[in-house]
Amino acid sequence: MIKNKLLLTLIILTSNSVFLESSNLVIKNAEIYDGIENNPYQGHILINDGVVTKISKTSVPYADKVYDAKGKIITPGFIAPDTQLGIVEIGALNVTRDDEASIYNIGFSIHDAFNPNSVLIPWNRANGITSAITLPRNTSSPIGGLGSFFLLDSNLDISSEADIVMIGRFGGSGSSSRAETLALIDDMLSFAASLDKKDMSSDDSIDEVIDDSSIASHMDFKPRDVKALYRLINDNLPLIIKAHRASDIIKLIELKNNYKLNLIIMGAQEASLVTDEIVKNSIPLIVNPINNIPNSFDELASNINMTPMLEKAGATLMFNVSRSHNYHLIRQGAGVAVANGMSYGGAIKALTSNVAKTFNLNNRGSIKVGNMADIVVWEADPLEPSSMPEKVFINGVDTDLTTRSTRLRDRYIRDLEKPNTYRN
Amino acid sequence: MKNIYIFLYFFCVFVVAENYKPFESTYEPLPPTNTIFRNANIYDGEGNELNNTDLIIKDGKIVAIGVDLPSSIDLIEVDASGKWITPGIIDIHSHMGVYPAPSVRTSSDGNEATSPVTAEVWAEHSIWVQDPQYALALKGGVTTFHVLPGSANLIGGRGVTAKNLQRNTINSMKFPDAPHSLKMACGENPKRVYGNRGQMPSTRMGNAAGYRKSWIKAQGYLSKLDEYEAKSDEAKELSYKPTRDLELETLAGVLRDEILVHNHCYRADEMATMIEIAKEFNYKITAFHHAVEAYKVADLLAENNICAALWADWWGFKHEAYDMVQANIAIVDQARNGTGCAIVHSDDEIGIQHLNVEAAKALSAGIKAGYDISKARAINWITSNPAKAAGIYNQTGSLKVGKNADVVLWSKNPFSIYALAEKVYIDGAIAFDRSSGLEPSSDFDVGIINPSKNRIEE
Repeated sequence: MIKNKLLLTLIILTSNSVFLESSNLVIKNAEIYDGIENNPYQGHILINDGVVTKISKTSVPYADKVYDAKGKIITPGFIAPDTQLGIVEIGALNVTRDDEASIYNIGFSIHDAFNPNSVLIPWNRANGITSAITLPRNTSSPIGGLGSFFLLDSNLDISSEADIVMIGRFGGSGSSSRAETLALIDDMLSFAASLDKKDMSSDDSIDEVIDDSSIASHMDFKPRDVKALYRLINDNLPLIIKAHRASDIIKLIELKNNYKLNLIIMGAQEASLVTDEIVKNSIPLIVNPINNIPNSFDELASNINMTPMLEKAGATLMFNVSRSHNYHLIRQGAGVAVANGMSYGGAIKALTSNVAKTFNLNNRGSIKVGNMADIVVWEADPLEPSSMPEKVFINGVDTDLTTRSTRLRDRYIRDLEKPNTYRN
Repeated sequence: MKNIYIFLYFFCVFVVAENYKPFESTYEPLPPTNTIFRNANIYDGEGNELNNTDLIIKDGKIVAIGVDLPSSIDLIEVDASGKWITPGIIDIHSHMGVYPAPSVRTSSDGNEATSPVTAEVWAEHSIWVQDPQYALALKGGVTTFHVLPGSANLIGGRGVTAKNLQRNTINSMKFPDAPHSLKMACGENPKRVYGNRGQMPSTRMGNAAGYRKSWIKAQGYLSKLDEYEAKSDEAKELSYKPTRDLELETLAGVLRDEILVHNHCYRADEMATMIEIAKEFNYKITAFHHAVEAYKVADLLAENNICAALWADWWGFKHEAYDMVQANIAIVDQARNGTGCAIVHSDDEIGIQHLNVEAAKALSAGIKAGYDISKARAINWITSNPAKAAGIYNQTGSLKVGKNADVVLWSKNPFSIYALAEKVYIDGAIAFDRSSGLEPSSDFDVGIINPSKNRIEE
């Protein structure tokens, strides 16, 4: 009786608190792809307060709540490294887009535009994406614009890491020579390398530095822009440059080495022609394994075998998609890569820990003790697009997998005797 | 004497000009690869799954399907045990050739976006036959594709159906006896393109008025034609044949049921409007394309025998594509006791290479919605149903004896992401063979990175 009362009190106390709801959970009997090892193992995962606290391969640790994943594959929640989640609702409706700036360039951050109630978030979560990096659209500067990391838990109290990456682009533009683009990037980085801590002490002192620099004045830099550039050189801020052509990739590698940049190349449709250089210089790549279209004259070597080739050579790979909204299709891309020769474990890492490592998301992207419990239990093979998550845990919380899409579906297949607007 | 020659000259020119039908198919199949496939698992495109079954293709046709078929000396034997065979995949919505790769302004020829009604243009006159995308689609099992003009216009022009056997003229790729199609478009695209120029249509009601005005013109033209053609030969000599009008010829072809209407339309309410217009002018809509909201009017589509050609999951890029339901294809398929016509289309150079996986996603969503749909039925979404919508089902789209031997041998069940097309046959001739390395390459691919190699040769 006392026990029951206590339980009742607990229920009342915790009914609005996801924190306590998730406080103590074991996922047992799972086939675990942990995002670290290439091969899976059978085990039980204990989660306390959203953190993985124990992984047992033998006895099942005690927990208040038990989820039996017998016969199911579990993976870390997938992390999509190249999205517009939370900042673009409808592509062709500018009033729903927050991916572009008109005044700031290099220092433009999308972080404060993020909408955790975007319908894209439950949709991607229900397909196994638990977190994402959201990037702005390219700015008028060849490098510039800051992306942030977001947890896809639909919580208005947003869990994020702001401004963890800068983006850029290099290649055929149709307006000016790529040689000029490269020179411009070089000048901007050279300016950034000339800055010291004192220059950065206040916006006034930054303004002075801008006035003294022809490139900074010409590019109409604002203090925000200069601060972001400074981070590239001094804080090892990851820089994703979108580029494809083999010769362009080589030029970017030179740039990386000149300025000790933390360079990631995205797209890289001709990476198979410069595999050795990419691997030797430890350049992580964000590629779309399903894209084999020579879509521009910079992408002539596009090849469905590129991703498996890069893996064999030892490159660090992450995946993106070529269309908007369905960022979860990175797992379809991963499946295509495996169908063409990539290792299965390698594909899982590309969807999880490779992203976490590249972008310093230190407690996510793999299932290990101490990490946040972003875990997906799959109905079947996660790389088969026809198999879906059965459970998606984010920070150990069993998240809602209802989507606007499943709600609309149910409206048109249930309660059909009622007029559609009076259905649920 | 001289006069007679002059007379004969004019007579010949006149007769030839009257009789010559331009742009006819000159397609010739490759030499046949007569083959017996042993112990295959087969989805026949008619809703059947056959296991441990043999299939014989000979002289371009499907000759026999059955267990333990007798072989003969002229047949190549292919061990298909553990593998799967389907009809060649048909993409009902492709822009290969009109939006080729590389995607550059100089060969982006899919939208004659200079007037809201351009029924006079034909997609086949834009097609670049050296597009490197055909070969990629072939490796995904695509044997036939239907190319449409884009959706900038209310009435965008004629589409064409082609064999996926790359040749150096479009006439030699055209699918023999396939009807022309007509591309129409609802919604945001036409009203945006022309509204931005301050011209009609700038609204959906402007769109609707635009179609109706065109059909009224077409009716007038058709009645003049009918009137002329009903005359006796003597009466014809005493009157003028109505002057040809390329725009109205196309529209009249629709009203005469010779040209199939393929209508880009996302929203359910607009599809209903288009069905009203079709009834008003007594023409048939063959298929709605993209139709993200088809599930809202699935019964209406089934009642009117209209197919819906759909993506498995693309959405959200514009407002009219916001209400995506992944079971859309299944709901259309199952409407009115399973009489609906669902098609998985690509409208995409990557998607066309993986239509089997797109169908797998749509099937999975349908099963989750509670429908009992077999894989053998779902394969129809990328084979027989698009064949029907292209008007070529009597020739291809299913593995029936007597039909063209358009056949794909898959390494695994084609509803798996890991399945690869191993061999692809078009009209009984092998066009792609993964094991021997036989594959076409376009002129574009030749020597473009390394002069001594083709584009993706390793």
